[in-house]
Amino acid sequence: MFRLINKWIRSAMNETVDKALHRMVKDQYIENLFEMVPVSKKVGPINLMETVMRSAQGTTVPRPLGSPIHFSPWEKILFNPAHLDRFPTPEEVGISSSVTIGHRARKPLTISIPIMIAGMSYGGALSKSVKVALSKAATKMGTATNSGEAGLLEEERESAQLFIGQYNRGGWMNTPDKYHRLDAIEIQLGQGAQGSSPQRSAAKNIGPEYREVFELKEGEDAQIHSRLPGVHTKEDFIQLVRRLREETGVPVGLKIAATHHLEKELDIALQSEVDFVTLDGAEGGTHGGAPILQDDLGLPTLFAITRARDFLARKKAIGNVSLISTGGLVTPGHMLKALALGSDAVYIGTTAVLALIGDQMVKSLPFEAPTGLAIYTGKITDQLDIQRAVMNLVRYLNACVHEMDLVAASLGKTALTDFNKSDLCTVDPFLSVTTGIEYAGVSPEKQGEWTDRIQGLIEQES
Amino acid sequence: MESQSLKNTLSYLHSELLRIETMAGTLSSLERDHYRKLTQFDHDKLMDIAVEEQSAARQLGTIKEMCLSLAQEVKRIQNDTTDSRVEEDTEGV
Repeated sequence: MFRLINKWIRSAMNETVDKALHRMVKDQYIENLFEMVPVSKKVGPINLMETVMRSAQGTTVPRPLGSPIHFSPWEKILFNPAHLDRFPTPEEVGISSSVTIGHRARKPLTISIPIMIAGMSYGGALSKSVKVALSKAATKMGTATNSGEAGLLEEERESAQLFIGQYNRGGWMNTPDKYHRLDAIEIQLGQGAQGSSPQRSAAKNIGPEYREVFELKEGEDAQIHSRLPGVHTKEDFIQLVRRLREETGVPVGLKIAATHHLEKELDIALQSEVDFVTLDGAEGGTHGGAPILQDDLGLPTLFAITRARDFLARKKAIGNVSLISTGGLVTPGHMLKALALGSDAVYIGTTAVLALIGDQMVKSLPFEAPTGLAIYTGKITDQLDIQRAVMNLVRYLNACVHEMDLVAASLGKTALTDFNKSDLCTVDPFLSVTTGIEYAGVSPEKQGEWTDRIQGLIEQES
Repeated sequence: MESQSLKNTLSYLHSELLRIETMAGTLSSLERDHYRKLTQFDHDKLMDIAVEEQSAARQLGTIKEMCLSLAQEVKRIQNDTTDSRVEEDTEGV
């Protein structure tokens, strides 16, 4: 019986494929189904689908998890292992991974690993189960989690040992009763995937608990303004930072979308005496944002870090102001390179959510996207097993830091904070000139001579 | 008299912080060793415990560093207290 069905299916398939191929060969190209191949190659499958979605919806297509474009050339940078000139670290020696953020604050924030969970809001982005799972996993690892642009979710605060809250453009965390309960305050003026554009969650997508946390009236939208309420001049911002530092004693920082005008923004941040700066590169994720904001706005994370580090060094602010970077850091290699280039710590968002869902994605596939388990408006959020999700993320973070430890041992380091630019080389000459990482094609002794030659060539060209 | 009491308290805090630092360091090595031993078994539950042990080792390492920096801060306050006492004595002369 089975052989008969098998034979029948094979025969039907053969007939269908033959007919399809025949039509593709005979039909005029303009009427041919095969035209979809060059068309999708020309505009790209993502652009093709988003074009169709725009034409069907007539509004912004809120693409989840950020830009698919890799702006930062992390793969062109390598670490320099040591053997004899400097010896590797013996395996019995532990690699220190703790970092202190905001040394100048009355109550600095010390985390046990240099990776933190990025700001992803309850309601606006994620479900309550996921927010609680993220904070429980962060606590197990001795690191911090971030509220995102939200109000204070009690369960999240209670399960997080170290909780960074965003003083946000929606105004939902901006009252003393809320920000006094934070371990650090991050003033959110923008994010990599959205710049400083306004955002809105429609009232129809806001449930009773979301409304309560955000203190919204029934039927009221959750509106993120392009500007922080009450901050219309740089003096307003400076006063705000000083007031929050004085009132709370916890580290107070600024988060912005990385921009080509980075140095001007940082200059104002330094005038305000922030304890830390968070730079979200163009690769930053989001629960859903306009593709134009994700693909066509901002500064790549890698360049944001090197430029910010250089600026802080010129202003003699290293040590006083911690640098936190985020945006498209997917592998432990990306994260460690970000640290070596000058970040004190990194945030991960998209990767943390993917790791947290982990093997539970089988609950959604093949009929629903895995994000349906995690986002607030997801259809199957109730199917997420929180305890399993916590352990998935704990395992992932542990594996990441363990991989970083291996690189540290190979470079003869005893702490992840000991990395710097001299531990790297690059295979890209232009990256070498712009970032100051030594070029892999020339020995360290000849770097100066080589850089002069390249700069001469660039000047000649221009 | 009060100054002497403060000096004694600071000295006590300093020595206890250094003791906690040593204990955290020892426990951290022990947890790392547990991680190595537990990962020798091909068992999911033991692997999870191993992961938690490794994380505990890191957090103990953090406690060690926090104790060290707090001990340095206490030492600085101790020195400041001694200096101000010497200044007061000199003014008195």
